[in-house]
Amino acid sequence: MYKLIWLVPLLPLLGAAINGLLGRRLRFSEKLIGGIAVGSVALAFLISVLAVYSYGFGGGQQRWPKPYLTSEEGGLPYSWKWIPGGAVELTEGNAERAHIEGMRQAGENAERQAAEQHLPPGSPVLVAVPSVPERRTGALLDVEWSYQLDPLSAIFMLVVTGVGLCIFVFATGYMHGDPGFYRFFAYLGLFMFMMLVLVMGSNFLMMFVGWEGVGLCSYLLIGYYFDRKEAGDASRKAFITNRIGDFGFALAVFGIIATFGSAQYTTVFDQARAFPLEPIGVFGLMSWLALGLFIGACGKSAQIPLYVWLPDAMAGPTPVSALIHAATMVTAGLYMVTRTNVIFQHSQTMMLVVAVVGALTAIFAATIGITQNDIKKVLAYSTVSQLGFMFLACGVGAFAIGIFHVVTHAFFKALMFLGAGSVIHGMHHEQDMRRMGGLKKYMPYTYWTFLAGWLAICGIIPFSGFWSKDEILWNAASTTIIPYGWVLWLVATIAATCTAFYMTRLVAMTFWGKERFREKPAGGEADEAHAHAFAEGLKPHDAVTASAGDRPRHEPGEHVGPINEDVSGHVADHGHGAHAHGAHTPHESPPSMWVPLAVLAVLAIVGGFIGISPAFTGGSHMGGRANIVNWLQPVIWNPTTGQFGSPHEGTEGHGAEAQGAGAPLAASEASSVEHRQQSEAGGAETATPFGNTGFNLAQAAEKALGSHAAAEWLFIIISLIVAGIGIGLGLLFYVKNPRLPDVWAKRLAPVYRASYNKYWVDEFFGWAITRRVMAAARGVYAVDSEGIDGAVNGTAWLTRTASLITGGFDKYVVDGIVNGVAGFVKRLMNPILRRAQTGFTQNYALVMILGLVLAVAFFFSRDLITAVKSMLAFIPL
Amino acid sequence: MLNLLFPALAFFWQTGTGGRMSDVGNSVTHPDLSKFLVIGALLFIIGVAGVLTRRNIIVIFMSIELILNAANINFIAFSRYLQDMGNVNAVAGQVFTVFIIVVAAAEAAIGLGIVIALYRNKETIWVDEIDLLKW
Repeated sequence: MYKLIWLVPLLPLLGAAINGLLGRRLRFSEKLIGGIAVGSVALAFLISVLAVYSYGFGGGQQRWPKPYLTSEEGGLPYSWKWIPGGAVELTEGNAERAHIEGMRQAGENAERQAAEQHLPPGSPVLVAVPSVPERRTGALLDVEWSYQLDPLSAIFMLVVTGVGLCIFVFATGYMHGDPGFYRFFAYLGLFMFMMLVLVMGSNFLMMFVGWEGVGLCSYLLIGYYFDRKEAGDASRKAFITNRIGDFGFALAVFGIIATFGSAQYTTVFDQARAFPLEPIGVFGLMSWLALGLFIGACGKSAQIPLYVWLPDAMAGPTPVSALIHAATMVTAGLYMVTRTNVIFQHSQTMMLVVAVVGALTAIFAATIGITQNDIKKVLAYSTVSQLGFMFLACGVGAFAIGIFHVVTHAFFKALMFLGAGSVIHGMHHEQDMRRMGGLKKYMPYTYWTFLAGWLAICGIIPFSGFWSKDEILWNAASTTIIPYGWVLWLVATIAATCTAFYMTRLVAMTFWGKERFREKPAGGEADEAHAHAFAEGLKPHDAVTASAGDRPRHEPGEHVGPINEDVSGHVADHGHGAHAHGAHTPHESPPSMWVPLAVLAVLAIVGGFIGISPAFTGGSHMGGRANIVNWLQPVIWNPTTGQFGSPHEGTEGHGAEAQGAGAPLAASEASSVEHRQQSEAGGAETATPFGNTGFNLAQAAEKALGSHAAAEWLFIIISLIVAGIGIGLGLLFYVKNPRLPDVWAKRLAPVYRASYNKYWVDEFFGWAITRRVMAAARGVYAVDSEGIDGAVNGTAWLTRTASLITGGFDKYVVDGIVNGVAGFVKRLMNPILRRAQTGFTQNYALVMILGLVLAVAFFFSRDLITAVKSMLAFIPL
Repeated sequence: MLNLLFPALAFFWQTGTGGRMSDVGNSVTHPDLSKFLVIGALLFIIGVAGVLTRRNIIVIFMSIELILNAANINFIAFSRYLQDMGNVNAVAGQVFTVFIIVVAAAEAAIGLGIVIALYRNKETIWVDEIDLLKW
């Protein structure tokens, strides 16, 4: 089955092509467009599931299959030479080698000459350096377009197509009535294709294509409502910010190709394993490569300092926010870091950088999220914060856990974004939480599914977020890869508390408490938009603003919903603008919207069981290959053993060169248990690739409590307690005593203002960078308009003047001479030549005859001369 | 060749040698072309002179017929000459003569038609009064 994976990216592309190229021309109905888009993704999801199943679990589970590459099939549908050999030749330092060879030969010549001349060795001899031709090694960069199926890409395939399918279905309901329906789904399908190319490509260049492609689609979809200025601005901001990251990524890819002579993952990582480790203080080749890659990951995955685009990206339609800016695209950085974990793990410095940046981003974004009022903004900062958690996991060496959090986060954050979309839809495009409240009664499905997402992100026990977040915190505390793991643990724990707090706040402000949506606008961002629209005299939902989507232009106090509508029954077709505008009475969304919510809610509840913490299952990752940590072992490099796979498994053949001959799973589990016990026996004996990394909180706890399991349980309890504290504070502030937020906002006014204004980061960038770039652009423009245009215009003036002069010369002098001569000849010859034209046929005939005679005479001229001579001979002279 | 250039002179020059055949070396008789060619040349010259000098367009026509017939005589003469030399199949010249006569008849018919049309328009058949080709 997995031989069909080349269809997985192709199907959404096909759907997008049909919708995009024909949707408008043939006036496809919304049903048809939605059917094509959803159908193509559903089919891709089906193929992915079957492929992953047959790859990982079919055909004897004893051995880990090798990474499956479609190029192994050969033939066009599977793969083709994308950049054939010869397009780029790798020099591999041939010029230097030739030079060295020449010098060596010169040395030999000198020695020989010295020997011939019987000079003592070492005496100076004058010899020429022979020029050695550069050796052609035939090392050509050969890049094929092929898809790779291995544990890592399998997970991403499933997440992208599976969560994507839910979001596609949701979008058919959410985008109902939008005039750009076909365009939206064309972009969305194109995005799916690019994302799948990113995660399924078998080399860095394909990853780069997907990387740029998802950036493009993100740009297109953020700016989907291009008639609104903030959407256009946000899309450009996202694009430009991503360019900065892509710059680093591209440099790293160049470096990788130059270093390893290939872009293929398998080749690169196999070679990279052999490089020496670079502890802190050494910043060698691997560190530079990792730095470039991480800059790229920062841009795409919204880490400090390049996170600023993600909150603004909420200007796009909500399904886009869910798909691109929560579940899939922003995790591309995680994918890339995990994919290149061999390179990252070679550099202790870069691991520390990744972890620190991740932890800082987590707390930074979480504290901003506390004070935001736009429901999507809160979720956006939450996403940034959760991405920080994932990078923290990668930085402390727990790449599998990072990917685990990607998966659970995709479930619950997509769920929450879609829930927010449902709320926005039900509230008639109201995004300000201050104007919501009490929606529980009106939107039961949305409410209950949202609760699942809330508990999951807060980290409450059996919900999915708990498993991954707890593992991240544990790994941060117990890391032996980098120093100061306990500081990172502390930061992340505080961030987790903030997460629980702001998510509780979000739920409370949206679904519980007083119903505020009937109140008059009381100021704030959303109301500015209202007032602005009022000033412009625009009606909401009319032809002009039908596409204004998530931030419509209502008149203040205008009725935007049906008054006498049965609230719970309002699940039918809800055509915007088709009905009279009533009060702001929210309504439940249609089934096409809440069914995906329900599916995602189930996933958010049970999704965490794919990676149950070892503490719960007796010290090993339970479930064999079905456990995500075990599943990902073949792609995770172990710096201690230098092999792929965990320390004990790697030696049994999970390395890249021996992935075909994997170890029996049962054995690996057994050895896993054994290893756990070993590390319990003595934490100091645990192999640390970079040596002692100072104080280790987990090991200290182990010593204090006497057992490894007890230490793990301690951390689990701590993380549950902080989640409880966060939720409790949220309930206290926003349910029990709604006056408290204002009181504390006044009491902590400077902190509150800083958080509310997002620490003025945008302003800082504006002051530090944008202003200067704009000034430079103006300078360049001035040079262009004054200098270059002036030069061009001056040249043009010069040319025109010169042509005027030469034109006059031509007209008066040259033409004068020609005409003068012609007139002179005419006047001179006219009386003579006109005589020839008598008009009498006989004259012309005479001329003809004369000509004939002359011709004959000329023809026989020799005979004629003879004749004349013979006749002259008769004449007596 | 001399007789080509000075036909009249050559004609009188040759009158002494009588007969269609001439003896060369008194042993073998050869057919003698020169008399016929001289006649043809004379006819041609008369025709040309007529075309160039006569004013009556009908007479010019007659002169053209003379030119054509000069050619006919040459054709016939050469045809017979070749037959006498032993090539009994050399009849192309005679065939051409028949063609020329036919073409001449057709040409005369068209020409006279043109003349009549001309006369109806210009009321004259004197060519020096017809100078429509003048500039």
